[in-house]
Amino acid sequence: MNAVHYLNQFFAGLGGEEAAETPPTRLDGAVGPGRGLAAALDGIEIVATLACGDDYFAEHEDEAVDRLVALVEVEGPDLVVAGPAFGSGRYGYACAQFARAVSDRLGIPALAAMHEENPGVAAADGKTLIVPTAVNVAGMRDALPRMAQLAGALAAGRELGSPEEEGYLPRGFRRNRIAEKSGAERAIDLLLAKLEGETRSEVAAGFDRVPPPAPVADLSTALLALVTEAGCVPQGNPDRLPTIRAQGWLRYPIGSEDSLVTGRYESVHGGFDVTLANEDPNRLVPLDTVRSLEQAGRIGAVHATFYTTTGNGTPVAASTRFGREIAEELRDAGVQAVLLSGT
Amino acid sequence: MAWELARFSSDFLVDVPALDGVEVEVVPAGEPVRVTHVLDAVEPRIRPDGRAAFPTDGRAGEGRTNRLDGVVVLSCLDFPAEERPLHEQESIVDLAGPGATLTPFAHATNVVLTFGPREGVRNEELEAWARRTTLSVAEEICRPTLDAEPSAVERFELGPADESLPAVAALVQLSDLGPLYYQYLYGVPAGQAGLPRAVDPCEVLDGAVTCGEYHWAALRNPTIAFQRNELVRGLYREHGERLRFAGLVLMRGYEQTADDKQRAAEAAAAEAARLGADGVIVTTDAGGNSHTDVMLTVRACEGAGMRTTVIVAEMADPESTNPGLTDWVAEADSIVSAGNAEELVPAWVPERVLGGETLLDGTPAADAGPVPVRNYLGATNQMGQLALTATAW
Repeated sequence: MNAVHYLNQFFAGLGGEEAAETPPTRLDGAVGPGRGLAAALDGIEIVATLACGDDYFAEHEDEAVDRLVALVEVEGPDLVVAGPAFGSGRYGYACAQFARAVSDRLGIPALAAMHEENPGVAAADGKTLIVPTAVNVAGMRDALPRMAQLAGALAAGRELGSPEEEGYLPRGFRRNRIAEKSGAERAIDLLLAKLEGETRSEVAAGFDRVPPPAPVADLSTALLALVTEAGCVPQGNPDRLPTIRAQGWLRYPIGSEDSLVTGRYESVHGGFDVTLANEDPNRLVPLDTVRSLEQAGRIGAVHATFYTTTGNGTPVAASTRFGREIAEELRDAGVQAVLLSGT
Repeated sequence: MAWELARFSSDFLVDVPALDGVEVEVVPAGEPVRVTHVLDAVEPRIRPDGRAAFPTDGRAGEGRTNRLDGVVVLSCLDFPAEERPLHEQESIVDLAGPGATLTPFAHATNVVLTFGPREGVRNEELEAWARRTTLSVAEEICRPTLDAEPSAVERFELGPADESLPAVAALVQLSDLGPLYYQYLYGVPAGQAGLPRAVDPCEVLDGAVTCGEYHWAALRNPTIAFQRNELVRGLYREHGERLRFAGLVLMRGYEQTADDKQRAAEAAAAEAARLGADGVIVTTDAGGNSHTDVMLTVRACEGAGMRTTVIVAEMADPESTNPGLTDWVAEADSIVSAGNAEELVPAWVPERVLGGETLLDGTPAADAGPVPVRNYLGATNQMGQLALTATAW
């Protein structure tokens, strides 16, 4: 099996800060820390070392990645290893972005190594395997065997075990396992620990809060669009919007209609009792109200299309995509305000 | 107040009464059987003093109740699909194969009741018939224990405990999102049961709460999850050891307006404060906006000076690093994960299917391919019954 190793200018022996502008370069075989890594690898040979100056990478990121990926492609290795970058921010960032590009574009397994607080970890965004290291080069001797171990697992092509078993930083995925105690017993343990001042959690804190945008400057001239996740569709659901776990969104013309006529629209949302909503679809998509505001001059105009999906059991990733796609269309159509009705 | 729970072995399961319109099958533990369209799971119980095992009047959690150990009654009903929104989600119990790790029932003898549709009978009425019949079967099959000696008796009573131990209350959410999404307290839907209020924890263990909530199967708290409630049992065990069990408050999930959610959260926190709780374990029922109720309750409890730990299931796309919580507040800094309901369970081909051959999405139950955890009854239930959890990868 063959591997390609990535280093910055300093660890590749090209020089210190004065060589930080070095463009992507190929060196034969293992170089610098690559020699120690090669010794730790079992059945894997480092056939080439790629190096790039930290400043060069930071200032020409797209080009540097393209050239480095092209150099990897020529070698056609079984895997790619980057670093260890320890606490060095520019180096760690380059390792993470390079490794991510290699696996994304070439489908070649790749890993990087750095300290868990290196900005490269955040840049990797869960898309790259990262072996945690000490914050400075004193951790080299400890880092290389652990990089070699994960490299061996990747080269073998087997499904990876947990971060603890394989020695990589959690990427942010959630995987089930059977704990030693029931959830109730764990809850008692966590609460008693918290009462003693030691707060722990099985789910990392944090949540994607969307900050409200600035108010619309002048609604009386704004084009306003109606968007809903209430599953409102033309009667009979001609495009088969799912009742749960929608895979996409739909748009329907409302033209110059004054309201959504009862019996011509329905909600297919499977997460609430739609009886009242179907008696008056305007309570989901308030066309009647915004028309009267339009006629009163308080809204410039109502966009001639409304957007709909079912917000029920939808993963956050899918919802985020729906939102982005709908927002792009609305922006391109010159819409300045959106009334989004949720259920 | 003391309550005794007397254990009888599954040998006392001798006969299941024939029922009109219901297929009855007794499945020994571990058989390669998939059970589909499962509404509820109930432990057989009967009371020697003649009072009802699942009372709709009177009080549970007093005197003595007999239980059949290792026997579970599963009720199955494939509702006529066209009558939405009164429609359940898919609900599976696998008694062997990879899905069997997600249920304690694989180790039990399962009495499977499959309720057939009835001409002209609408879903709400069908559900009521199935639910009442299931509870009465669970009581009836326990009848042979009445003339016998139990193999063990557990006594539930809160004696005095060291005042220096922290006082811990359980705050248990019960869903009420309308017909087919109700939990029942003494036969009354949670929304009409005067919640929040403190009850004797023994009432919860003794059939006061029954399940009529058929939303996401994995996030469901079936009746047996109250009868065998691990949280209540754990707090009894720890009483006088590491804590003082201050009591249990039932609250409603799925309050229907933002104002009602806030009011209910504060009222539940006030009930827990009246119990003198230093800390509160908050549990969740079902998913979606009941997670908002539970998070607001955590905030209200913390605001009232009580520390909280909350149990929730995650719904994280297995291929994404996005968070899997439906809602979250900064005060929820101590969370127990009951597992990720979105993970796929590998395909399994059972030898037999009970409850209905076709799943709600139209696939044959005997060859359904990988099934998401969310379709397994009670797999990620948010009272902490099971040991499933999700960890960072």
